[in-house]
Amino acid sequence: MGCGHNYHWSKSHPLYKKAPYGKLAVAGSSEAFVLTRSSWFAKKLGWNPDSIQLKATAFCEQVFLDELRRAYPNYVKIPDQNFNHFPEESQRLDERIFMKGRLPEQGVVVKDSAGDIPPYILILHEFIVGTDLKRETYFDYALIHNEMTDKKTSTHISAIISYTLWDNERQRPLFSAVDEVQRPITKPTPEDLEALVRSAVKQIRINLYGGVS
Amino acid sequence: MSRKSSILLFALSILLFTGASFGGSKFFNSHPTLWKNPDILIWSLDKEPVIDPKEFCLSLKRANSGIGDPKCRLQGEWMRDSIAIRYATWLNANMDPALKPEYLKARHPAMQAKIQALEDQIVLYIATNGNNVNIALFDETASEPKAAGSILLSPDKISMGDEIADMFFDGTAKRRLSKEERKKKMTEPDEYFQEVPVFKMWAGIGMGYSQAQIPLTPDDWYSSHVNSQVGNYRITKDSVSLWNFLDDSDPYFTLYVGGTWYDFIGLELTYHYAKHHMKTDPEDTVYQELDHWNFSQHEIGLSAMFSRNYRPLTWLDITPFLFVGFQYSFFVEDIALKDGVKNPSKAYKARIKFEEAYKGALVGFGSHFIFLKHYGIGLRTGISSRGRNMYVDPSPDAAAESSVIGGFTPDWFIGVGLEYHLSLF
Repeated sequence: MGCGHNYHWSKSHPLYKKAPYGKLAVAGSSEAFVLTRSSWFAKKLGWNPDSIQLKATAFCEQVFLDELRRAYPNYVKIPDQNFNHFPEESQRLDERIFMKGRLPEQGVVVKDSAGDIPPYILILHEFIVGTDLKRETYFDYALIHNEMTDKKTSTHISAIISYTLWDNERQRPLFSAVDEVQRPITKPTPEDLEALVRSAVKQIRINLYGGVS
Repeated sequence: MSRKSSILLFALSILLFTGASFGGSKFFNSHPTLWKNPDILIWSLDKEPVIDPKEFCLSLKRANSGIGDPKCRLQGEWMRDSIAIRYATWLNANMDPALKPEYLKARHPAMQAKIQALEDQIVLYIATNGNNVNIALFDETASEPKAAGSILLSPDKISMGDEIADMFFDGTAKRRLSKEERKKKMTEPDEYFQEVPVFKMWAGIGMGYSQAQIPLTPDDWYSSHVNSQVGNYRITKDSVSLWNFLDDSDPYFTLYVGGTWYDFIGLELTYHYAKHHMKTDPEDTVYQELDHWNFSQHEIGLSAMFSRNYRPLTWLDITPFLFVGFQYSFFVEDIALKDGVKNPSKAYKARIKFEEAYKGALVGFGSHFIFLKHYGIGLRTGISSRGRNMYVDPSPDAAAESSVIGGFTPDWFIGVGLEYHLSLF
């Protein structure tokens, strides 16, 4: 798919010189997680189908934040009320890839719950969990209206993550990307889901280092 | 003073000089439109602006003599508005020589709306940043700075103003449009997307030059015709070409009207006039009675044209064309004897006569250059011929019949014309 189009899945600011080390704030995680094929997951994981969406997203968010806390000792979470009032804007990564998400206003710094100003904020826009997901089908505007065939068998559980590393002092996006993580499965367990989120965090950290221009 | 120290002093003075003249650095400049008698709004992030509006106006006049009468004032509304202040603060922190304008774009919709509402005014953003002063220019056409740079901070407001004026306001100033003109321009279709008229026509008057020899062909194809002379009023080596009798290289004058459909296919009617001298042999004494002997060449032609229109500039159309057509030629004799010659010679009475009319073909190419849609210059070159059908059915007395005079008379021509073009529908 993609007709041989060579996608750029990330974009760095020309002045992104140093990846965050040790200290990082996270924003947007409370509304970023989405579970697709929830009835399939409910059946396989043995969770109640009525509450699978809430339970799975809360589970994934917790794993995500725990993993970040392990990676960045000075980790803080930006309270929702300090962040969720910013409007959504779209960022262009490529001529066909646009990602949407909240970004703080120019000239406005975001404070954490202690009132401090963290230098870097990892803004999580979307974290889509599902099976055999392809990021093209979600982010290439030429493909997003294509209907996908409903597959009966799945070989991977996957996650698509869109995020922005925000320079809170100068209010500019340092690094924006859409990542895709796949994990082969035979029978999914909560451990598989946990491992998927962990590898997503690992992927984000690798990209944050790799994106330094 | 030793030689070494004088060299050092010289180097130091050069350093100082270059330092002074290149104290400011331009980050980018996409040359926003500079209007005559402009309104400059000074948007300062600092409470006390580093330049004085009145003095800056004088700096502008000094830097650019064509700028007219600028008006400069502080952009008070933006200096009080919290969204604008946030953007101004942000811009000051983010301006950097490495950043393209798109990285300095105002993202807030209210800020974008403010910039779009400027209407011909230029906003001059000024903010001190340490020892430097950041400068950016905004106009209504983009929500990012059109030009940006920074200069060293100095307490002298006049010299700061001069430096800013030299950096960003040195372009040619354009006349500002009135309200009506602006309104008209808004509704005007784009010049390049206007409908092409179905039919265009033109009339022209021109002159040129023709000769028997076609350029880039060998001389010896023509030499026998061109060098031939007429003896005893009718004798030449060969009579197949009229250029055996007549001078071939002469100026011509022409009138023409034509038209094209869809800038592609057209017709043109031409009238062509030239005067040729008879090439009488100067050594032949029979011509002593003769005052002059000329032929006027009148030609009426009709050609089909194939053209294509190009418009490299809004006021210039270039229409190259090919043409192919036919023509009728008439040679009118103008002969007179010298005063006092009562009885012309026998040879005079039996002198050569040309055919009443010749017909021929013409083919060539050229181009119209049309200025302001109406006033054109046309250039063209080609080959034309005049003759008779040489392949008539053989008649019983064919052997006795003389050959047709001027049966094949081609020539090459090049000309220029002044034209008036108009489109009817």
